[in-house]
Amino acid sequence: MCTLESAPFFDISDPAFAMHSDAVRSARAQSWFARTNYGVAVLRYNEVSRLLKDQRLKQGSAQWPEHNGVHSGLFYDWWTKNLLVLEGEDHHRIRRLLNPAFSPRHIEPLNARFTALAEELADGFIEAGECEFVRDFAEPYATRVLCILLGIPESEWPTIARLASTVGLALGVHLRRDLEQVEGAIHELYLYAEALIADRHANPGEDFISRLVLANREGDSLSDAELRNAIVLLIFGGMDTTRNQLGLAMQSFIHNSEQWDLLAGRPDLGRKAVEEVMRTNPTTTWVTREAIEDFTYNGLDIARGTTVHLFTQVSGTDPLAFPDPEIDLLGEHAPHYGFGGGVHHCLGHFVARADMAAALPLLARRMRNVRVDGAAEWMPDSGNTGPVRLPLRFTPAP
Amino acid sequence: MKVYVDRNLCDNHGQCAISAPAVFRINSEGILEYEDDVDGSRRNDVEDAVDVCPVQAIFIRDGE
Repeated sequence: MCTLESAPFFDISDPAFAMHSDAVRSARAQSWFARTNYGVAVLRYNEVSRLLKDQRLKQGSAQWPEHNGVHSGLFYDWWTKNLLVLEGEDHHRIRRLLNPAFSPRHIEPLNARFTALAEELADGFIEAGECEFVRDFAEPYATRVLCILLGIPESEWPTIARLASTVGLALGVHLRRDLEQVEGAIHELYLYAEALIADRHANPGEDFISRLVLANREGDSLSDAELRNAIVLLIFGGMDTTRNQLGLAMQSFIHNSEQWDLLAGRPDLGRKAVEEVMRTNPTTTWVTREAIEDFTYNGLDIARGTTVHLFTQVSGTDPLAFPDPEIDLLGEHAPHYGFGGGVHHCLGHFVARADMAAALPLLARRMRNVRVDGAAEWMPDSGNTGPVRLPLRFTPAP
Repeated sequence: MKVYVDRNLCDNHGQCAISAPAVFRINSEGILEYEDDVDGSRRNDVEDAVDVCPVQAIFIRDGE
């Protein structure tokens, strides 16, 4: 048993820190946890699975604005009232009212539109035999899926993509420097959200936003301000993540080309492809929690206020849980935690699963012998990772 | 109305306990407990729990 003092140490704010590294694999073999410059990192599957859902831990981002010297303003008000950081009944009430619109029953009918969108985007670059995958597919696809869901004209996707990326700066280390830009983007997204809400109040239909406007439980419903906040969270949480995850999927399948070939002929494996990519190469490389009381878990004393990082990729390839951890579309694997878990489990995961499951088999069929062609650019491994730029060359197929 | 949770699928996330707290709860060991015979007046809550379950492990069996 490792003590805290003797456990491996990682500087997770070092841009060179890599989840897929011998140092991390060796630490995982030695100990279920590591020390970091921001709390404890959990490395093994069983421990991640338990602690992710442990009620002695809360979501760890509530204090993020304060930790960066931001104590008021538009960003502060949005962040501190959003579902991601709320706890207890404040969280559960809003989650209950939002959940039904995200039901798989309502998402399934969108599959045909997701497939048509993927075909349209692929048509735009397939014949050339090359593309910049983030620019030509991942970003427009992820953003237009959001537009489809929210009922925003798809032609406005570049504006939505720009605003979502700008709000995303809020998670960076330069929050204070970028605050004015972040608040400007939140303000613009509020205007989109307010227009959608007003329109559906006046003209309710069978669409996603109408379901949220009309959501009601025992006389309780979301206020327009709560709904506006949630719509901005959805755009913030739904665009970058899907864009990044699609880029990571290409990386995984380039390294496992026989799996890509398998997927090309088996579109029914699209859902399994999403699960396997997210188990072995998730964009959200860790999920953060904070201890709300002192407790001992598996021999480790965890003091109230300790930050606990649950490493998703590292635990998803833990040989104790996955004897052959490589991506395998025909294998049976325990569930991954790329969508987090417990009460804060990703709200939009049925949408993300459906849209990526539509896109990946189609890309596998049409892009043969894919390889990286030139210099790709990557985000650091900490937090949400993925390619910024991914130039690919391939043999086109109709 | 009969409620059934497939324990091979259930991952104890506890989303069902948010949707239908009178039927589902996570115990102090982090394991799901639930009522398997539920009054029909709770149908809406249980249906929300069925829908929201991340691993789709909850089933309603009518007419038993």
